[in-house]
Amino acid sequence: MMEAGTSEGLVAEGISLAFGGLHVLNDVSLTLRPGVITGLIGPNGAGKTSLFNCLTGLYHGQRGRSSFAGTLLNGLGPAQRAACGITRSFQNLAMCPDLSLLENVLVGLTLKRRSGWFSAFVPTPALRAEQKEVERRAMAALSELGIASAAHDKPSDLPPGTLRLAEIARAIVCEPRAILLDEPAAGLNAVETRDLMRALKRLMRPDLVLLVVEHDMDLIMELCEQIYVLNFGQMIASGTPAEIRAHPDVIRVYLGDDADD
Amino acid sequence: MAVSDLAQTSKAELSVRGGRVDAARLSMLALVAILLLAPLLAGGFLLYSLSLCFANALAVLSVSMLVRYGGEVSIGHSFFVALGAYAVAIVEHRLGLSIVVSLPLAILLGAGAGFVFAFPSRRLSGIYLAVATMALALALPEILIGFEKFTGGFEGLYIAQDLIPGIPKALQRYYVALGVLVIVCLALAHFRKSAQGLALLMAQAQPRAAEAMGITRSWARISIFTLSAALASLAGALTGFASSTVSPNSFTFFSGVFLLVGSVVSLNRLSLPAALVGGAFITLVPTYLAQAGDWVPILYGVALVVVTLVANAGDLRRFLPRGRGR
Repeated sequence: MMEAGTSEGLVAEGISLAFGGLHVLNDVSLTLRPGVITGLIGPNGAGKTSLFNCLTGLYHGQRGRSSFAGTLLNGLGPAQRAACGITRSFQNLAMCPDLSLLENVLVGLTLKRRSGWFSAFVPTPALRAEQKEVERRAMAALSELGIASAAHDKPSDLPPGTLRLAEIARAIVCEPRAILLDEPAAGLNAVETRDLMRALKRLMRPDLVLLVVEHDMDLIMELCEQIYVLNFGQMIASGTPAEIRAHPDVIRVYLGDDADD
Repeated sequence: MAVSDLAQTSKAELSVRGGRVDAARLSMLALVAILLLAPLLAGGFLLYSLSLCFANALAVLSVSMLVRYGGEVSIGHSFFVALGAYAVAIVEHRLGLSIVVSLPLAILLGAGAGFVFAFPSRRLSGIYLAVATMALALALPEILIGFEKFTGGFEGLYIAQDLIPGIPKALQRYYVALGVLVIVCLALAHFRKSAQGLALLMAQAQPRAAEAMGITRSWARISIFTLSAALASLAGALTGFASSTVSPNSFTFFSGVFLLVGSVVSLNRLSLPAALVGGAFITLVPTYLAQAGDWVPILYGVALVVVTLVANAGDLRRFLPRGRGR
C-alpha cells in the first residue's frame, strides 16, 4: 500500500525540522496523491509554512525523506524542484513590479524556453515564433483564471484578488505536475475567495498534485477531498472533510478554539 | 461586472500605450537623424567631444544595466572599460589589426573578466559587492603601470588604425561610436522582452519566487555581471578608438566612481536619450572640474558618498518614475 504512494505523487515521510533548540516539525508525514485536492490546515504557528517550505526545498529537514513520482527530493533546492515539475505560490504576493501581469506569468515559462543568449539581444525568426507561442500559453493561463483582461496592467494597478489569481496562473503556465499553494486566500474578500475556489476546482486534472495550505477552515472543507491537520509541529489528524470534522483532537485544538470566538 | 470594467480600462490603456510607443519611436528616430547629420554642421573639437560622449554613454549603460537588472552597484567598472581600450591598443601594436578584430575581442575579454570576477563574488550583494568592485578599480592603475611592456606604462599607447581607410578620422570616430551606441540601445530594448531579461528582473525583485521558477540567484548574479562587463569593455574599446589614445590617466580610481555618478544622472535608464545625458555628463564635467584643482578628489569623494547612500540600488528604484520598466 505504501509502495504505490511512494512511486506516485508527492510524499514526505518523517520530516523533522528544528531551528536551534526550537522544534518546528516533529516526525511529520503526508502523501499528496495526483487528482486529489489536498488541504493542510492548522492554527497560526502550527508549522504549516515550515512544512510547505520543506516540500518546496527552501528548508531542509534534519530528518526524513521526501520524494516526487519516485524521485528522491532530499538535498534539492527550489530551482531543482521546479525542474522536477513542482511549482508554488507565495503567501506574500511575489510579483515583479516592473513587469506587466502577462510578463510576470511569462517568467513562469523560463525553464521551458529554448532561446539562448544570442537571441536575447538579436531578434531571430526562431525567437519570434517562440515568443508568440509562450505569450499564447501565458494568455491561456490568464484566461483560465478569468483575468486575461488585466494582462497588460502593472501589478501595482491591480487588486490583490487578481494578483493572487495571477500567481496561480504563473504556477500553472508551465504545466507542472504538482502545485503547492501557500495561503492562496490570504487578504481576499468573500467574492474573490469564491472565484479562487472555482478556479482551483477547474484546474484539477487526474495527473495533478495540488496542495492548499490555509488557516481558513471553511475554504479547506469545501475545496479539499483529503485534509491534514498540523498542530505544534505534529500531524494530529488526516482524512476526508467529514472525518476531520468529527475528529476529537481537531475539534479541541482547532474548531474548538474557533467556536469560542 | 468587475471583469467587464477591467476589460474596458485595459483596452483604453492599451490604445494610450500604443500612442505613447509611436511618439517615443518617432522622437527616437528624430534624435538619431539629428545625430547622423551633426557632422555637417559641427566639426573639430565638438565632433571629437561627441564621439567621446557616445563611447562614455555606452560605459554608463553598462553600469545602468547592472543596476537595473542586477540591483547591484559597481564602483570598479573602469576596470572593464580599460580592458577594452587596452585590447584595441595592444592588438594594433602587437598584431597590426584594426578594431574590426579588436572590438569583438574586447567584448569577449570583458565577458571573460566579468565572469572571472562574478563567479567567486556571486554570493555578495549591495555594499559588499560594491566594495569588492572597488578593489578592481584600485588595482587597475598598478596593473597598467606594472605591465609596461604591453601597456606602454605611464605614457600609454596610441591608436592610429582606421576602420575604413580613406574616410577622415574624425568622421570615422564619430560614426562608429554613434552606430555602436544605437545598436546597443536597440539590443537592450530587445533584451527587456527576452526570456533572460524577464528572468533577471524577476530574480532581482522577487528572488524566492524566481528560485521557485528555476531561476537561481547565482545564475542571475553571474549572468548580469558578465553582460555588464562585456558592455563596459565594448565601451572601452570605443573610448580608445574615439580618443586615439589610452593611458593610465584615463582610468584612475575616480573614473569608476564617475561612471556610477553618470549612471545615476541618467536615472539608470537604458534608453538612448538617457545614455546620452549620462555620457555627456561624464565627458564634460571632468573638463570643468579640472579647473577646481585640489578640490577634485574632495568633490569625487562627496559624489561617491552621496551615490552609495542614495543609490543602494533598491532605494534608488523608488525615485524612478513608475510605468515603463526600463
